[in-house]
Amino acid sequence: MTDDTTPTADDRTDEQVRTDGGTDEAARTDGGPPATVPPDDETPTWSERKERSQGLAQLTYQYFERSRREDEDLRTESTYVERDVLGFPTWPHETIRNLAITSFFLGIILLVASILPSHFGDPANPGSTPAIILPDWYLYWSFGLLKLDPINPDLAVLGGNIVMSNELLGLIAHGAIFGVITLVPFLNKGNARRPVEEPGWAALGVAGVILAITLAVLAIQNFFPVQLELLFSLVFMLPVAGGVVTYAVLKTMREGYMYDLNRRYYMLRPPK
Amino acid sequence: MSLKKQDDMDHNAWLKGQDLTAIETVFLTTLIWLDKRLRIVDYLELLETMYYRANLQMPKSHTEQYDLDNKFWYWYPLYSLGSLSIIAYLLAAVSGAMLGFYYAPSTAGAVAQGDPTAAYDSMVMIMKDVQFGFMLRSIHRWAAQFMVAAVFLHMLRVYFTGAYKEPREVNWILGVVLIALTLLFGFSGYVLPWKQLSFWAAQIGVELALATPLVGEWAAQLLFGGFTLGQATLVRMYILHVFVLPFVVTALIAIHVGIVWVQGIAEPH
Repeated sequence: MTDDTTPTADDRTDEQVRTDGGTDEAARTDGGPPATVPPDDETPTWSERKERSQGLAQLTYQYFERSRREDEDLRTESTYVERDVLGFPTWPHETIRNLAITSFFLGIILLVASILPSHFGDPANPGSTPAIILPDWYLYWSFGLLKLDPINPDLAVLGGNIVMSNELLGLIAHGAIFGVITLVPFLNKGNARRPVEEPGWAALGVAGVILAITLAVLAIQNFFPVQLELLFSLVFMLPVAGGVVTYAVLKTMREGYMYDLNRRYYMLRPPK
Repeated sequence: MSLKKQDDMDHNAWLKGQDLTAIETVFLTTLIWLDKRLRIVDYLELLETMYYRANLQMPKSHTEQYDLDNKFWYWYPLYSLGSLSIIAYLLAAVSGAMLGFYYAPSTAGAVAQGDPTAAYDSMVMIMKDVQFGFMLRSIHRWAAQFMVAAVFLHMLRVYFTGAYKEPREVNWILGVVLIALTLLFGFSGYVLPWKQLSFWAAQIGVELALATPLVGEWAAQLLFGGFTLGQATLVRMYILHVFVLPFVVTALIAIHVGIVWVQGIAEPH
């Protein structure tokens, strides 16, 4: 290494005493960091690396060595154990583990296909509108969004003229939902990987799922003997209720059951 | 300077230096002779690499490493949903290609009276006359249903385990695009049999497109081939379903999985 700016092994914080009096090693309860991955056959030998000693190849080589070293130093200095398990290899580990489930799943599809044949309705007739128009089940929520007409008069301005057509209202609702979903990674940052860690976001997710289901029910309201006004209120109240319940449950879990896990992963040290 | 080809590795001298039996000599001579022509050693090395890759020892899974499996199953069963949707997609692609041999995207027939069109007739033909046609259509349809369900659940899993965070934002956006395209895939396929439900679902699609400000009429022309439903609509949906979307969606899935491959699977902790 020709890089003078990176700290040497002596500078690192291995022996440094933590603020609570213990050392980093003493606080470790997870058996230490995972073993480093051995280099595979593709890794060039030292001499091979040295041979690339001119021009762009040399520059690229230096850059890669430098960033490798930076990563290594960051990893060594970090007291945050979770860093080491950010990603898990897709091949072969996850793929092999999934193979059994995959064949099971294929079998289920074939079974369902053979015992539940698909719908076989009347041919299209532009002359007669059927009483019930429906898309496939996975678009019920979308169809429900198009039935938000009762909201539209509430948006009325200037002498009761509605601002937009009912179809446009439905379209805008679609755009808003897709937009919010797309923005999620840019709104929610950090390292949390479990719903208990972020009860608010989990509650939002559960509310979203329930809203999709209630909107689907709104789309097929013809099948339910429920008053439209009541149904319409439920469409928007049930998601809120679900979100509140989720939030309460996760908060409780966080204080109780998950405490040991949190302690392990966030290295909360016992008071001396 | 001789024009004769040099033996860089000096195989003959190496052979002479060895104390070999007759069988070993013949074997090595043959191997060297073949290797010079066919590069056998390269392939042997490839085989060896493959052998070691295939026999990689699985590291402890996350649940084992952190002793989570005595708590409960955690999120693990849900970690296969992405691959399940790909399996369903492949199944739908294969069965769809076979259905394509028999299907006719045509509205020929006295539509106004509610008589069956050619498209509807070809569907009836598939289900009644073609060997295993009933099963074929059933598999195609159910594979599509399972794919949509798996894709939805996959997105929920990614959301609730925060797997869209830091390095994976691009893949999340790609996933949203893929979900929209999957729904469009489903919708265009729903229209193809030209049943009552198909027709009126497409009618809603046209009305929606026309309600869009600025681009509405253009979108209706592009997707449905006009402002009223007819032959043009069916052909547009057919081309969308069997030509445009398969290529686009397959390419996007490949990129999606490629990114997952590079970044690794986000683990809960």
